Amino acid sequence: MSERRGTSSAVTSFVVASRYLPVYLALLVLAVVAAIWAPQTLGSVVLNAIAPYGALLAITALGQMLVIMTGGIDLSVPGTFTLAAMIMVGVTDGSDDRIGVALLAAIGVAALIGLVNGILIGGLKLNALIVTLAVGQVVIGLVNRYGRTFPVQSQVPPGLSEWTSNKILGVSPVFWAGVALTFVLIVAFRYTAAGRRFQVVGANPVASRVVGVRVNLNQIAAYVVAAVFYALAGVALAGLLRSPGPTIGMAYLLGPIAAVVIGGASLSGGLASPLSTFAAAFFLTGLNQMMRSMGLPTSAQFVVFGLVIIGGMLISGDRIIKGVEQVLRDRSKPGPRGRGALVAEGGDP
Amino acid sequence: MRPRVIALIAVMALVLAACTGDVAGTTTSAAPEEEPTTTAAAEPTTTAATEETTTSAAAEEESPLAEFGEDPAAADPALVEKALGPVEASDQASWDIVLASIARASQDLDQATIDKAMECWGAQECDTGSGGELVMGYADGGGNQVNVWRSVSHMEAVLQALSYPEIGRIVSTAADFAGAETEMANIRFLIQAGVDFIVGYPDGGAGVAPAVAEAEAAGIRYVPFSAGWVGLPDQEGALIPGEDYLAVVGEDLCALGDSFAEVLNTGAAGGNVALLGGTPGNALSLGWQRCTVGSLGADTTLVNPPADENSTTGDTNWFPPAIPDVFRGLLTANPEINGYAYEYADGIWYGLPVFEELGIPVENLTLALRTDEQNLFCDWAQRAEPTYNIFYTAGGNFQSRTGVTAAMLAIAGADVPAEIVVPHVMRQVTEADCNPDRPNEAVSGTSLVPDDVLSLMFAG
Repeated sequence: MSERRGTSSAVTSFVVASRYLPVYLALLVLAVVAAIWAPQTLGSVVLNAIAPYGALLAITALGQMLVIMTGGIDLSVPGTFTLAAMIMVGVTDGSDDRIGVALLAAIGVAALIGLVNGILIGGLKLNALIVTLAVGQVVIGLVNRYGRTFPVQSQVPPGLSEWTSNKILGVSPVFWAGVALTFVLIVAFRYTAAGRRFQVVGANPVASRVVGVRVNLNQIAAYVVAAVFYALAGVALAGLLRSPGPTIGMAYLLGPIAAVVIGGASLSGGLASPLSTFAAAFFLTGLNQMMRSMGLPTSAQFVVFGLVIIGGMLISGDRIIKGVEQVLRDRSKPGPRGRGALVAEGGDP
Repeated sequence: MRPRVIALIAVMALVLAACTGDVAGTTTSAAPEEEPTTTAAAEPTTTAATEETTTSAAAEEESPLAEFGEDPAAADPALVEKALGPVEASDQASWDIVLASIARASQDLDQATIDKAMECWGAQECDTGSGGELVMGYADGGGNQVNVWRSVSHMEAVLQALSYPEIGRIVSTAADFAGAETEMANIRFLIQAGVDFIVGYPDGGAGVAPAVAEAEAAGIRYVPFSAGWVGLPDQEGALIPGEDYLAVVGEDLCALGDSFAEVLNTGAAGGNVALLGGTPGNALSLGWQRCTVGSLGADTTLVNPPADENSTTGDTNWFPPAIPDVFRGLLTANPEINGYAYEYADGIWYGLPVFEELGIPVENLTLALRTDEQNLFCDWAQRAEPTYNIFYTAGGNFQSRTGVTAAMLAIAGADVPAEIVVPHVMRQVTEADCNPDRPNEAVSGTSLVPDDVLSLMFAG
């Protein structure tokens, strides 16, 4: 019996450790497919070119990951993302001197939006999906109103666009910003008490409350930090595009959620890996790039993208571990055949 | 007996005096002003009336629109040239309406009109102050905040509406690229708002057909501009202009596609070319791409052929964040692309940084474009690359004016052709096409909105 338990434990440990493995396997498969059908996408020039866009998706996805870890979801991303980008235009009025003020304003406003989300969801226990959808609509309304205060298609200050197009070690600083934020989250989760408490809240809020962890505060903090991440991504994309419009954030509604799920997190909350989420964001960006390079029609691109997300959902979170544990439990039961077989035959389990 | 003779002589004298006009002095006292006025005016009036009749007759000979209050002959040739370039006229019925709409595009607006235009452009609803009973609806799948082209096209429609005293109210909606459902909701809102006609651009194409059909069923004439067909006739769910809705204003899309191909066949002969479009399957892109594909020379290679004749290729959604991705995809697979055809010059401007990202020089490149945003042209001038050439037709902002005029003509009882063809001609960009003094660098050079209005629109 103890031998069986030991085997089960070892398998479980392996599966837990490898819950984030699928995204790396997916990256490997993508690389192989690209090497066969679109080898040009693996060139260093192309990889460097897509690096900032992958990092933008990663930064947004890391924010979404924090929210999803608490069992929530954030659909206000496009609004917050866009408002931050527009603030960089409106506050700077094209002047490099005001980039700092605008950046602070963008982060501050985003934090406020996150705080509203957090209080309504973490404090008042309203449904996250509905609340963030509603708050997102309000923010988009504000973006439209704010957008009328300066000329349409105004440009960000040249200093910002130059910064995003510069290269550090051959790659855009936006990429390195994404790497830095990922690293910060990894360190926070592994080496700080606050980070570990945050993970516990996501994994088991009831137990966390029992042991004195302030669950509500952690949930509110997740939405605030996430909104700041969206704002940073919005600012960076504004710099890359030079002239952000009121629709700039529209593409960032589902992509980050897909990256989080493919990165191994479960939409029901719990553990997640910043590194896997970062990798998943690059997987999606690379997939997008490869499909375009292969000349796939837009309809086919949507189909492939949708199928990949469904695949990610199927292998996400602890689905694998639960499945394996179920099989092991069935096998450990007395009798020649396991529970599954009985159920399959219509017998009494 | 003598008194009777004297009386008789007196009466005869009076009659004689009356006949010689002496009595006029007496009559004049009764109508001292009328008679000189009448007399003075009589001859000129008669002359003027004769001339007017002659002019009117001539105009009627040239255009049947005169009886509906339009005067195509009054279109300023300089404005026609500005809006369209040196084009040849399209079919007479279309051309008359195009000219009639340009004839109303006054460049010398008084301050009150400018103020009213700004009010109507910025508000969902406004009273034009004319006291007119008609209500114009404007339904854009984009909107003022989406990009400059949409913004200016809206202003063109507003200014045109203000030139009609019959229009007393303007109601405008913008879907901000939120999709066909939002566009339909906006059209339904306009129906509820009691508009008499709707001018707009249906980004959703055939997707907005149900709402357009509802509007027409309610007696509200619908006129899309900029070749914004509610689906091309052979597309599933499409409506037919002239049958299901009043008319569509725009270029002959197949001729436009042929013109693009001609430019690419010459400028990128023997090389690779790519086509770019807007939302997948939209009527505008599909219309010209079909004909460009068919007209490309045998020695020109299209690197991104559409999947089939009902599909568009190079879909950018006209969405700036997506445009670099499209360019990156094309250039990664084919670093040597010598020509692009696209209906949106501003989109190219968003894609050019990808060349730098990938280390591909902007040279040996020919662009065949429809619109003429200044930012791209000024970027071209700045590059001063002799092997990089741009050809364009016209921004077409003014086509919304043509939509307004077409609707007003229909309401007045005139026959309006189902397809109001706006002629086009390809022109090569020169340094003169970059005007750094334009009020906004993304404004089309071919817009008919006066600069003082543009300055207010983009003053911030």
